[in-house]
Amino acid sequence: MSLLKLENVTVSFDGFKALDDFNFSVDKGAIRVVIGPNGAGKSTMCDTVIGKVRPTLGKVIYNDKDISKTAEHAIVRQGICRKFQTPGVLENLSVEDNLAVGVRKRKGWWANVRSSLNKEESNKVTEILELVGLSDKRDMLASQLAHGEKQWLEIGMVVAADPELLLLDEPTAGMTAQETEKTARLISRLAGQHTVLVIDHDMSFVELLNAPVSVMHQGKLFKEGSIQDLRDDPEVIEIYLGRSKDKAHHA
Amino acid sequence: MKRILLALLFAALIFGPFYLSNYNLILVGRFLALALVAMGISFIWGMTGILSLGQGLFFGVGGYALAMHLKLVSTPQGELPDFMFYNGVEILPWWWQPFHNPIFAIAMVLFLPTLASAALGWLMFRRRITGVYVSLITQALVLAFATLLIGSQGVTSGTNGITDYKTFLGIDLRADGFQRNFYWFTLAIVVIGYVGIKLLLRSHFGKLLVAIRDGENRVRFLGYDPASYKIAAFAIGGLLAGVSGALFAVHVGTISPAMIGVIPSIEFVVWVALGGRESLGGAVLGIVAGNFIKDRVSSAYPDAWLYIMGIVFILIVLVMPKGVAGFVKPLLERFKRTKPVVISSQVSSITSTNKGHKEISTITSSIISSQVGGEQ
Repeated sequence: MSLLKLENVTVSFDGFKALDDFNFSVDKGAIRVVIGPNGAGKSTMCDTVIGKVRPTLGKVIYNDKDISKTAEHAIVRQGICRKFQTPGVLENLSVEDNLAVGVRKRKGWWANVRSSLNKEESNKVTEILELVGLSDKRDMLASQLAHGEKQWLEIGMVVAADPELLLLDEPTAGMTAQETEKTARLISRLAGQHTVLVIDHDMSFVELLNAPVSVMHQGKLFKEGSIQDLRDDPEVIEIYLGRSKDKAHHA
Repeated sequence: MKRILLALLFAALIFGPFYLSNYNLILVGRFLALALVAMGISFIWGMTGILSLGQGLFFGVGGYALAMHLKLVSTPQGELPDFMFYNGVEILPWWWQPFHNPIFAIAMVLFLPTLASAALGWLMFRRRITGVYVSLITQALVLAFATLLIGSQGVTSGTNGITDYKTFLGIDLRADGFQRNFYWFTLAIVVIGYVGIKLLLRSHFGKLLVAIRDGENRVRFLGYDPASYKIAAFAIGGLLAGVSGALFAVHVGTISPAMIGVIPSIEFVVWVALGGRESLGGAVLGIVAGNFIKDRVSSAYPDAWLYIMGIVFILIVLVMPKGVAGFVKPLLERFKRTKPVVISSQVSSITSTNKGHKEISTITSSIISSQVGGEQ
């Protein structure tokens, strides 16, 4: 059964169609990867799902509900949470408090004046510190972390919110090969409890995930399949090398 | 270290009436009243990232609410307040009537500024208005409010303001010892405000305010509604400004549009910036010490004081972009913490310098434009 479905979604910015009659669905309980060259519309797709950008045409269906007009924070509360491309950690809070912001179930301001994290929530924070390997840095300010650690911390914050659907937008951007590998292992571990949608353009990272892959190109779904097949697919290679337009001219 | 400093400061303030001259006691009392509006600004600007250049509006609403009551009880029974009489107003307006009741007046001091700031916050933050636009809107509103007060002379006493109070809750405001007792009362309210805000900042709510300041989108996409947090914070800032205005009106014995308009509103922010906007203590110190120094310099050099203050202001902003407290804090931390922390806090103060400068330049240009406007 599909958890998330984009139906004929078009997003246009001043006439430029970042998503062009885009159809896509994600099934429950699996890792799913979306790749594509720069400008293919991957991040716009994420933005559309979480409500940061609204579709010009079409619908975003989540758990059989149309969420294309739902307020952003309400979409999160329905179970979708996204990690942004550039690390969006809260610089002036400690690592632990960053996770606390994610883990907290009660989101209203008054509830948070009156009470702080309960036992269950603070245990969860400890658990996630372990998961992302930042236990020994819990009291540090987030601004003191290295770039890779910030990426993990933000993944931790998003996981802490315990969403049904995790959107990870280029989680390995700026990481070393070792860090990338560690991130791939982390994501594989998450797959048990969440549906994970990973957006990336780094093929070597995607290979580590061993999951079904969709290729986006010019705002459309281009091809689907396993990474092994797609990697050797001449058309996919072409769009990655940016020759598709030339070919169109010749045709 | 910080605790010792705070305890010393508190002791110095509480014993103030025993060693300060009468003139200085009056001054410090006034500035303590202003400490509340300063803490509010530190809370909404330093912690939450909302730069309001119109706190004078809420300060004024609180001040006028109490002043209306004081004026009514100081007017002989059956008579109209003097300024109404001079302006040909023959019956007391209906909205003046309930201010006969002291409880009502005190309730309004607390309620009206909070409501006004919450409503304004709702209008701005729901629409995701941020940054310099918030500063401009708040400044325009405080200008409009002061203009409205001046324009409706018959019911507000216009430029003269509401003045000449005699009693409050049966206490003679001119009696010996009143100044001293009211000084302590003000100090008590300041301490309550300080502790209250410290508690708020320590709560999860407080952490979320800092989180929203640093990454509003990140917080929104973790399922929070940042607007409601900002409205709440802005309303708390408004409440503090209102109480501050009411206390100030009693200390000075008058409240007038000149005390709440654009220039005082900007001055509040300037003192907070100098003291250190990310530190409550810094904000209090900034407004109390700053005003005190201003008083001394302006009486010693009546012609040059504005230039002297201007130069001091520029120097502090250049050398200490996060104010005196922001400058001293890393030095204090060096005493007790390990090196990495010290290094990083210097790094973070460098990274936020740019933003600080941008905001300071907003304030500076506001000051210039309001000065030019005033001379026309």
